[in-house]
Amino acid sequence: MNARAPQPRNVLTQSLAQIGACGLFLLTLLAAVPRSFRYLRETIRQLWFVGAMSLTIIMVCGLFVGMVLMLQLYHVLSIFGGTSASGMVVALSVYRELGPVVTALLFAGRAGTAVTAEIGLMRATDQISAMEMMAVDPVAYVATPRFLAGLIAMPLLSCVFCAMAIFGGHLVGVTWLGIDNGTFWSNMTAQVDVHTDIINGVLLKSLAFGAVVSLIAVFQGFTTPPTSEGVAYATTRTVVASSIAILALDFVLTAFLM
Amino acid sequence: MSQPRSSYAVGTGLFIVLGFAALAYLATQTSSVANVRQGDSYVVDAQFTNIGQLKERAPVKVAGVRVGQVQSITLQPGRDVAEVKLSIDKLYDRIPQDSVATIFTSGLLGDQYVGIEYGSAKQVVAAGGTLARTKSTQPLEEMLGKFFGAGGVVDNVGGSYAVKASFTNVGTLSAGAPVKMAGVVIGSVQSVHADPVKLNADVVLSIDKRYDAIPDDSSAAVFTSGLIGSQYVAIQPGGSPDALKDGDEMILTQSALQLEDLIGKFLVNGSPSDKKDAGNGNK
Amino acid sequence: MTETVRATPDDATLVRIRGLTTVLGGKTIFDALDLDIPRGKITSIMGPSGTGKTTLLKHITGQMYADAGSIHVDGRNVAELSRDELYKLREGVGYLFQNSALLTDFDVFENVAFPLRQHTRLPEVLIRNLVLMKLQAVGLRGAARLMPNELSGGMARRVALARAIVFDPQLILYDEPFVGLDPVALNQVIKLILTLNRTLGITSVVVSHELAAVQRIADHVVLLSNGKVVAQGDPATIADDGSPWTRQFFGGEADGPIPFRYPAGDYATELGFAGAAK
Repeated sequence: MNARAPQPRNVLTQSLAQIGACGLFLLTLLAAVPRSFRYLRETIRQLWFVGAMSLTIIMVCGLFVGMVLMLQLYHVLSIFGGTSASGMVVALSVYRELGPVVTALLFAGRAGTAVTAEIGLMRATDQISAMEMMAVDPVAYVATPRFLAGLIAMPLLSCVFCAMAIFGGHLVGVTWLGIDNGTFWSNMTAQVDVHTDIINGVLLKSLAFGAVVSLIAVFQGFTTPPTSEGVAYATTRTVVASSIAILALDFVLTAFLM
Repeated sequence: MSQPRSSYAVGTGLFIVLGFAALAYLATQTSSVANVRQGDSYVVDAQFTNIGQLKERAPVKVAGVRVGQVQSITLQPGRDVAEVKLSIDKLYDRIPQDSVATIFTSGLLGDQYVGIEYGSAKQVVAAGGTLARTKSTQPLEEMLGKFFGAGGVVDNVGGSYAVKASFTNVGTLSAGAPVKMAGVVIGSVQSVHADPVKLNADVVLSIDKRYDAIPDDSSAAVFTSGLIGSQYVAIQPGGSPDALKDGDEMILTQSALQLEDLIGKFLVNGSPSDKKDAGNGNK
Repeated sequence: MTETVRATPDDATLVRIRGLTTVLGGKTIFDALDLDIPRGKITSIMGPSGTGKTTLLKHITGQMYADAGSIHVDGRNVAELSRDELYKLREGVGYLFQNSALLTDFDVFENVAFPLRQHTRLPEVLIRNLVLMKLQAVGLRGAARLMPNELSGGMARRVALARAIVFDPQLILYDEPFVGLDPVALNQVIKLILTLNRTLGITSVVVSHELAAVQRIADHVVLLSNGKVVAQGDPATIADDGSPWTRQFFGGEADGPIPFRYPAGDYATELGFAGAAK
């Protein structure tokens, strides 16, 4: 039964098989979307678990990322006498890269693993089979709501992260290091473009990351052998695969969107 | 039984509202016009012929202390004068009418702000009044603009001719660096060698055949693009009727200056010749 | 009891299995299995561990498909049903999982209400009354607000039973309902299965290898081994039918037609005594 134990099979073949299976699973998920509209309550419940419950970690991390970024930039930019630009640089780096990427990595660690473990345990305890027996489609009831919740939650979490990072940057830059408040904001507003930075940078990227992380988490949960060992392994795989996918996708998206 | 469900719904709703609030904050506070008002203020007009890089919400300072911010910048149709509205804190309502509003730059690379130097008139500027005496962006900006304006690639492959030039100091100039005239790339540096006898640097410039009418008394100078950019060779045309030919040597050369010297020179004397060059560089 | 095997599907036989053949991972689970489950009776499927008793239940509910053969439930071929038809069929089939499989997110009440909420638009008052009726039937109305992790094994199984009967199914499949229960809980479950069958006429299939319990409830016993029905009949008499299969299984002998040793190569060769392999 232990299909995930190291096998003498080619790693490349295995990875390709995983990606292929994941793609097919995505089709199944999407096909179940109309049926999962009946389970709107479940989607909302999942939004609570993957979204609202991740708020604390996202907000705290966003605050610290903004603060440390400002601190670093201030010292580098003070060499060129350009400290007034540090607010703008914080905003741009957070919007274009750090916000969506760090949020997605945290999201994979916080919500992705929870989803994988939960679905894996539901399979191990026959809850998935029980749903099938009660004529409830487990893909529509379990998988799709979690996928949709991740898709909705990620952009919102990203926005919260960015806002907190700006707040952290302001705290360090203006309150502590003494950058002029107006300069801080005027530089930022002059350079930040709603379309390229906020819509393309924050929203589009985090939407893509949300889809990828949720897909991987749900897929790993559904395909893992229903044993405690399999669930542990699948949870690890979720983090590893999500992190790689996020960073690779980030490069592709940046190349296309910039 | 609906207790846990409704609490999820409320919590999730709060989460969604918070997310959208954050989005609205990002979209409005950090990217577009949103005036942060700090206490009562009054508005004063000032007209500038050139505002340079001045932006809305940039600070307004008196004696280096912030007294308000730039509220709006508009260009009157049909006039080449920028109308800048300064929103000044009510605390500082005794600005003399003959005060001078100047656009300054904080540091070399810093942002611009409006500085007000008090005059001696008894009357003060009222709310909605105008500061008649203004000074536009300082020449420093234009001078630096010359260096920032460098860039671009040689757009030819249709043959070139070689000209020699020797410098006492080429700085970090290396083969492949652009050769520019009036800020436009006309060729590239073919080689840089030290002359074992004259103890200076022999530089071979490869110039596009299209530019075959460069006077032979033109001078070559090693310049830096931007303050921290790479170096290039700038050719300043002379007045001779004869043109440079393949293999000629340029007599008049100006070696690379230390960055400090360069900046110091522009800061101290904005000479007319510099202004002319600046104009070329901005093209 | 054996005469019901010959009856037509729409009256006495609820589930009719013909020529069922399934190979999983290179191992033959079912080998041209024929089986009939009579309507309104308690049929017990017995057999050694690993003979595919649970797999057989999954075939009946369409969670797994056979490589060959057919399964008709109430006259409909499970393998040919569309997804919606299959789900419609499953609404009329209760399934009691070995480990209860209660949804851990919900309390007892919501677990029992789950099928109702998913498939009906009944008013809350009606759902509440239906659920409380079923919980009362299994004696756990007072536990309605407990979460699954607060229940003992026997209680969880009774809750799962309440959930399985919430739609008043015509067929209930019990997967190992007696495993891991203390004698009191065991008797409670036995009593429930009997009550459901005798009072409501629900056809029941009990997969088990607890002989004593089976003998108390079953109308019909089927003994599976090596993918085939090796014996079937009345629980009181099946143990005495004289075949080596029943003698070994009910007598609990360690070796017999059901081999003690898993198939393997020559022992001496594998130990490396090459000379012995000649």
